[in-house]
Amino acid sequence: MSVTAFILAGPAQIGGYLAVAAVLFALGVLACATRRNAVGFLMGIEMMLNAAALNFAAFDRFHVGTAAAAGHGQIMALFIIALAAAESAVALAMVYSVYRTWRDIDLAATSELKG
Amino acid sequence: MPASAAIPAWLPLAILLAPVLTAAFLLACGRRAGHWGAWLSVAMMAACFAGSLAVFLGGLDQGHWLGWHSSTVAWLAAGTTSATPGFGLSLGLQLDGMGALMLMIVTGLATLVLLFSTWYLHDDRDYPRFFWMFDFFCFAMLGIVLSDNLLMTFICWELVGLGSYFLIGYWYDKPAVADDTFYQGMKAPYATGIIESKLSPGDAQLKAFVMNRIGDFGFLAGIAITAWVVAGWCAASGHPATHLLSWDTVFAAVADGAFAKASFAGLTGTDLLTLAGVGIFLGAMGKSAQFPLHTWLPDAMQGPTTASSIIHAATMVAAGVFLVARVYPMLTPDALLVVSWIGAMTCFIAAVIACTQWDFKGVLAYSTVSQLGYMMLGLGAGALAGGLGAGIGHLFTHALFKCMLFLCAASVIHACAGHQDLGRMGGLARRMPITAGVTLVGVLAICGLPGFSAFWSKDAILASAQVAAQQRGGLAWIPYALGLATAGLTCYYMMRLWVRAFLGPERDHHVTHHAHDPWPRALLALLVLAPFSLQAVWTGSLNPFATHSWLDHLLAAPSAGLLSMPGAVLPSPALTEALHHAHVQVMIAASVLLVLGAGTALVVFWWLPARGIDAAARLRQLPPFSWAWTVSARLWGIEYLYDALFVRGLGKGAGRGLAEVDLGTPERLARLDGGGSRQTEPDPPSLDGAIDAGTRLVRWIGSAGNALQSGRINAYVGAAALVTAVLVALALVG
Repeated sequence: MSVTAFILAGPAQIGGYLAVAAVLFALGVLACATRRNAVGFLMGIEMMLNAAALNFAAFDRFHVGTAAAAGHGQIMALFIIALAAAESAVALAMVYSVYRTWRDIDLAATSELKG
Repeated sequence: MPASAAIPAWLPLAILLAPVLTAAFLLACGRRAGHWGAWLSVAMMAACFAGSLAVFLGGLDQGHWLGWHSSTVAWLAAGTTSATPGFGLSLGLQLDGMGALMLMIVTGLATLVLLFSTWYLHDDRDYPRFFWMFDFFCFAMLGIVLSDNLLMTFICWELVGLGSYFLIGYWYDKPAVADDTFYQGMKAPYATGIIESKLSPGDAQLKAFVMNRIGDFGFLAGIAITAWVVAGWCAASGHPATHLLSWDTVFAAVADGAFAKASFAGLTGTDLLTLAGVGIFLGAMGKSAQFPLHTWLPDAMQGPTTASSIIHAATMVAAGVFLVARVYPMLTPDALLVVSWIGAMTCFIAAVIACTQWDFKGVLAYSTVSQLGYMMLGLGAGALAGGLGAGIGHLFTHALFKCMLFLCAASVIHACAGHQDLGRMGGLARRMPITAGVTLVGVLAICGLPGFSAFWSKDAILASAQVAAQQRGGLAWIPYALGLATAGLTCYYMMRLWVRAFLGPERDHHVTHHAHDPWPRALLALLVLAPFSLQAVWTGSLNPFATHSWLDHLLAAPSAGLLSMPGAVLPSPALTEALHHAHVQVMIAASVLLVLGAGTALVVFWWLPARGIDAAARLRQLPPFSWAWTVSARLWGIEYLYDALFVRGLGKGAGRGLAEVDLGTPERLARLDGGGSRQTEPDPPSLDGAIDAGTRLVRWIGSAGNALQSGRINAYVGAAALVTAVLVALALVG
């Protein structure tokens, strides 16, 4: 495999993709569990979504059940990208609204409804 | 397509990736990447230019440029079964003569602008940030040039938009000019037209982004239609659909009449192809700041001038023109008619505005919009009228002299300590003679003086527009007439710019008394660019009236792949004859307009003021000049219109409605709660006790669960993750 193809096409085994996706997902969870900044929290969500999308694409490439299903996983990855875009648009609007109300996007600041 | 063997396969990829890797590295280094980061960028870009030169020379074959195509990599494949091959998208790099030349121009200009920026921004607070943003932009721009398919072009198209967004907002914390005391002190007393409370780097970057979204919506729709039709054609004709949106597949489908056989949303045949072409052109209108989407480009001057010089003058805004040239085989005569009308309106409208702009960069910004309109006018003339070669030729000549003019603007504004008002400059030629000389070369180039580059490229556009008008007849003469009028206006406003800034007495000693030519390395960038304003560089002939150039031959290579339509660039003998006649007429008309336009500017801004007559101020009071002045200075009212319609009307209106729902609902609920049937009589004791007991129970359960409701969302996520992990572990063990 030429260097060009490797850069554009990535590794040839599924394990590499799954490992990257797992690390990405774990980092996303970690970000959501530790970040107090709302934007950092959203980034964590995005990372988890991307990990899922990467898994879809990888399984589509290496573990296609039937020939007719080929490409479905990749299409699903596209759906996830579109979903993630919509999600961040709504979430960022909420963050902005929160900022206008509390003058802060620290997640701990917005806990008026706590028991 | 005979691929050139002399180009190493890795070289174009390396040219594409070097800027983005450098950008990532510098971004990671953050503030530590000081001056060495800047010099690393310069060195990297110089290496890219050397590589581009090698690519260009490698593909040359007796004045023609052979095609080059990298191996492609499948990116997405879907619907593949044993019965049907399905379809797929692939990524790859491809070059033709136009692309190879553009590659050289982008990397070459980027090198010089980076070199210039090491001087221009050397004492800026955020110095390192500029360079990674700039490198990132170059990566995206090179991606557009090198892309072998519509999708990768679209992705890089959005990335250049992002790069432009970054750089417009480089001074992100600068206030709106209405609150900027320095701006209020320096602006010309007659400055009007812009909405000052809404002009800051932050607003400008947002405006550029939103305006481009409108265009890119059309672009995406055009791609979608194309993909739909081409996929159907591949399935019907048996053509492999694994590179669905690649230029090769799309153009093969177009050449085979795929659109004539397809139907989409009730549209069939040529109409469908026109729709796809106009959709893609809409994307080009956004990026290339064509009317009515042009208003973002003048605002983008809020960014550093050196960034403007390459992004908003030489390369990114030219990407729209490049794209139109790229998809040329897709454009039907109707689509080309749209292109020529939009181009003509843009070049005239912007040229009128440029005539009264008070600041140095403002004149150049509107001049850029106008010249981009010119290129579109040329492209819209159609391949058979020589419009493709003319439009691309002007794209290249303009890229070089406009980049140079913006660097001159950077020198002048730096020399005047940030002052941009032409009315306070004057007499700078004595203090910064080299900058004045180089600017003059650029001004003469854009005016189209014989022997300078635009004399060749602009006349080619006008000649093509004239031939197209003859072919189309009727109303089609209007775009040609607008183009001709613009030629005169261009000479006027550019000469006005030069005379006001560099000639005459010093009008404001405080502004100009420290002025001097920039440091040697910045001067070097200017002096390297200056010769490219000469016509001989482009035509390969010292005879200014030679109409054919090496560029035509370079682009016209029949095997060049992308631009390989028969007669695409070199027209047939009959049309050559028509073009020749048009050339002679245009040359005479343009020369008369040059003398008129530049002469008026010289008389009004130099000869009469030297005799104590403030001709400009008098003309401003005198109808009909005063009417024209109002139209021009108020930017045709376009800013006000958009503000009233979209920003205040649609935006604020919809925003207020949604805010009412968002913020009003809790209030309304609260009213509902308190405003219900209010009991004045106390309840009977038995009922009271039962309810109290219920309340106590609820309160007890609530306080028991209270501890969980910490309000800290991080804790919730952590708990959920932990529980999930435990459950998964249990499932795996069990």
